[in-house]
Formats: sequence, C-alpha cells, structure tokens
Amino acid sequence: MSNEAIAIMMFSSMMLLLLTGQRIFGAIGFVAAVFALWLWGDGAVEMPFNASITLLNWYPLLTLPMFIYMGYMLSESGIAGDLYEMFHVWMGSLHGGLAIGTIGLMVAISAMNGLSVAGMAIGASIALPELLKRNYDKRMISGVIQAGSSLGIMVPPSVVLVLYGMIARVPVGRLWLAGVIPGLLLAALFVLYVAIRSRLQPNLAPPLAAEERRDISLADKLRLLHAGLLPLVIIFSMTGLFLMGVTSLVESSAVGAGAATLATFIKGRLTREVIRETVRKTLSVSCMFMWVIMAALSFSAVFDGLGAGRALQDLFIEQWDLNPWMILIMMQLSFLVMGMFLDDTAMLVLVAPLYIPLVISLGFDPVWFGVLYTVTVQIAYMTPPFGYNLFLMRAMSPPEITLGDIYRSIVPFVLVMIFGLALIMAFPQIALWLPNLHYGN
Amino acid sequence: MPKPIRLYVHYVDAFNTFIGKITMYVIFLMMAILLLAALGRTLFNWSLIWTVETAQFTMAGYYLVGGAYSMILHSHVRMDLLYGRWSRRRQAVTDVFTDMLLIFYLVVMVIGGHSSLQYALEYDQVSRSAWGPPLAPIKIIMLTGLVLMLLQCISTFFKDLARALGRPIDRENSDE
Repeated sequence: MSNEAIAIMMFSSMMLLLLTGQRIFGAIGFVAAVFALWLWGDGAVEMPFNASITLLNWYPLLTLPMFIYMGYMLSESGIAGDLYEMFHVWMGSLHGGLAIGTIGLMVAISAMNGLSVAGMAIGASIALPELLKRNYDKRMISGVIQAGSSLGIMVPPSVVLVLYGMIARVPVGRLWLAGVIPGLLLAALFVLYVAIRSRLQPNLAPPLAAEERRDISLADKLRLLHAGLLPLVIIFSMTGLFLMGVTSLVESSAVGAGAATLATFIKGRLTREVIRETVRKTLSVSCMFMWVIMAALSFSAVFDGLGAGRALQDLFIEQWDLNPWMILIMMQLSFLVMGMFLDDTAMLVLVAPLYIPLVISLGFDPVWFGVLYTVTVQIAYMTPPFGYNLFLMRAMSPPEITLGDIYRSIVPFVLVMIFGLALIMAFPQIALWLPNLHYGN
Repeated sequence: MPKPIRLYVHYVDAFNTFIGKITMYVIFLMMAILLLAALGRTLFNWSLIWTVETAQFTMAGYYLVGGAYSMILHSHVRMDLLYGRWSRRRQAVTDVFTDMLLIFYLVVMVIGGHSSLQYALEYDQVSRSAWGPPLAPIKIIMLTGLVLMLLQCISTFFKDLARALGRPIDRENSDE
C-alpha cells in the first residue's frame, strides 16, 4: 500500500471513530497508536508516549492553565458586573444599546483572557438576564453573546495563537499584535450589524425607558467609568508588560492569573468556595485540552513519518495545478469541514504541520495565515455540530431560549464574520500593520 | 456486576478523586514559580536557571496526574452529532466497545512511558540545559499519571458496561 493510501486510511478511521462519540483524545490516540505499531512494529511503542515528552518541552503551553484559571477567576471577581453596568448606562439610550454594550463588555473580557469560555460564562450570567428583562429579541441576545465571546481567541492574549505560534514557529508577540485590529474590526462589524438591524426593527432591541434614564445623573455616569480602571490595570500588567519586553510570554500569563486573583480579593469575593471551584474547573478544562493535544501530536508524528505533508504539497501544486489563492481558500474550507468533527486544538495540531510549510512556500505570511485561521476557528466555535460556544450557550441559557433559537441566532453573525474574513484576506495589512509597526519588518 | 468489580470501581474512583483534589491546587505552585522568576529578575536582578524547567515539570505532572480526576469530572469533549441524540443506554453500549480502544491507547502509553523511564534510569539521563536536572523523577511522575489514568479508564469501562446491561453501579446527573 502506498503511503498516501495509508494516510487517507488513517484519517478516515479517525473520523469514523469520532462519530461513535468516544472522547476525542481517546479516538485520536487509539488510531495513532495502532498505525504506529502496524507501520513500524514494536519499535514504535514509545511513539505515543514521546508526544508527552514533546509537550514537556513546549514551554508556551504553560499559558493554557494560567489563562483558563484567569478566565474563571475573573468571572467570579465581579469586575464584569461593574463593567456591564458602565456600558449599560452609557449605551442604554441607543437603539440596540444594550446589545452594543454587551459587545463592548466582550471586547474588554477578551483583552483580559485568552479563551472564549470566560466570555460565555460572563455573557450568559450577567448580560443575558438583563437583555431578556428589557425585552430584547431572544435570537439577537444569543447571537450577540456567542459572537462577542468568540472574540476571546482573537484579541490578545489568545491561547489559540500561542498554540499556532508554537507549531508554525512564529513569535507569539507578533501573532497577538496581528490579532488586535482584526478583533476590533469584527467587533465593529458586529456593532454595525446590531445598530442597523435595531434601527430597522426597533422592537428587536428597545432602548432604556426614558424615566430610567433620567434617574442617572452625569456625575453617576462619570463615577461608573471607575469600573474600567481595574480591567485596564490587569490588561497592562499582563499584555502590556509582555509587549514591553519586561516579562516573558509564560510569565505574563502567570502575572495575569495573579492579578485576577488579587482583583477578586480586592472586591472581597475571594472565598474558599470560589478558589476551590476555580481550581477544579481549571484542572478539568486544562486536562481536556492537554490530553487532546497529546493524542493529536502522536497522530501528527505518524502522519509526518508517512510524508503526508509533501504528498499534500505535490497534490495541490503539481497535480491539480491550483493557484495560491485557490489553495488558501481550500485550506479555509477544509478547516470548516474538519471543524465539524474535531475541536480546534486537535485540528490545529493535526493539520497545521501540513499546511504551514505550504503556506510559506506559496509566499504568504504565516502570521497573517494565523489570523485567518483564528477567524475560521471563531466561526467553528459557533456553528453546529461541534461548537464550544454553542455547547456552552445550550448549557447556560434559560429554557425560554430554545435550541432552534440558538442555532438560528448565529446565522447573521456568521455571515458578518465571513465578510470580515474576506476583508482580512483581501487586505493583509489589517493584520500585519500593527506587528510590523511594533517589531519592524 | 460482581462484587470485586464494584469494589474496584469504588476504590479507584475514590483514590483518583482524592489525588485529583490535591493536584488541582498545583496550579498555584506553577503560578508561584513563574511569578518568582518574573519578580526575581525585574526587581532583584536574579537569574534563576531552574525556574523554566521546574515549571515545565510541574505542568506535566499537573495534567497527567490530574487526568484521572478529569475523567471523573467528565471533562473530555466528544463529537456528539450522533452520540448526543442517543438514549443513555445506547450511549453506554457504544462506549463499552470504544472504551476498549481508549484502554488500548493508554496501555501503549504506559508501555512507552515505562521503557522511556528505564532508559532514563539506566543511563542517568539529564536534561540538556544549563541547569541539567535528572529526568528520571519527572518520568516517574508522568508514568504514575498514565497508570492512574489507565486504572480510571478501566473503571469507566466497568461503569459503562453496568449501564449497558441495565444495572448502573454509579450515580450520574441526568443531563450528562
């Protein structure tokens, strides 16, 4: 059997096994172990274990538990509640103002956290009840919270970009800066969509009642701006110090985790219960990611041994004679298809080693490709059947928001994101301008 | 289920829960090492050569030893396109078969970890760095984590088997 045929067989058996609903790490790890033993015999018995040694040396991975911890700690700290009140009062008088305020809150949370879980948790627990109370349309609410929290992986810090940087061997600082403007662009597009939609259909997103607005004096409004102070300190101590070169990447994530703990303490909410629940959830989510990454790494090592990367390159360039842009678009499409079977971390570890050399040989910038990849992952987070935000929304939303509402709510936002993706593809400077400015070309 | 199996499930779950509840606090150890490195360098101009590797070792111990507890917490995601629509019983029947594959993977991991540890012990393997710590201790911790995970997956297999046969031996929330 040719290596190509074996590679295809390996990939399809993994897909099939995933359909049985076994835990993703188990399905991928099993296929990797079986093929390693079958291809190379007893000598390959250490191959799956070697992935754990590779992980031992992937220092930047330490940011993962730190950011997970930080996200859960922040959602307990009460900072988000204060921030939301600020946005609520300042934006409340506009059509769709609270939805716009929610997006603002999500951008702020994203700048303090590297994953989208914290945004979801905060959105569902703080913004969702308020929006329901003010008679916002259910689909508008669900869409805004899911789309807004997906910004967590684009706006720095971002765990997805850390992982991408390790695999593509691109500095994480560059990737993080490259995510700033695309993240803000997407947020602005969401705001634009909400503003236009609620101007056309005011019943979807009613403004605050006039008497409620009159009760709030300008002094009160200004006082509420204090809520933004603590988040700014946290963002500076983490991302700021890292970009200034004071702390290393991994250190900065620990500083962020420490700052979040301190903030919770200052707000008087650091109870034993909060600590215990936070570390438990942190272990749970960290283990989920790490075991998936470990299994995917062994899979990708076997794949590499088969020469799958070179075979793919030959197929695209020599045999199908595709032009670079076609290949790029095919890659994005393949992410969307695979995103139905796999979570994004597994997908990244499996495919990135095949795609990134190809991207570079085609003359594209790997930093820019990382941003494109992240937008695709954001979309994958929200689209069925495998979407983390979708799962979380389902688990966290009150019964009056049905599954149908949740599924339908994402459609306009996904379209907006595809438009954003097209913009970043057409104008790479959206992503590359800021890192080039800070670090030089 | 026969009594020895029920006892096995009970004790393995209890032991791994106990270990997990300790391991989850290791995040603070990691945080402390990294903060020490950052503060030491910026404030006191220390250059501590051991912090990076110690943090890496702690991380490996954290997720490998914590793995078994994460199984108990049902942390691991599945592709639920089909699985999510099945009855709990049908899920359990499928799991009985696919759990065996999971166990196979872990057995291979344990064998690989064991042979890697033997190498480290035999040749006094040290890390190639300025600090150069011996690698055997961390490999012992990693192997321990894998063995605990294997024991836990066998326990999960028994629980799924019992549920597939219609006589569950564990309680779980209805929404799982």
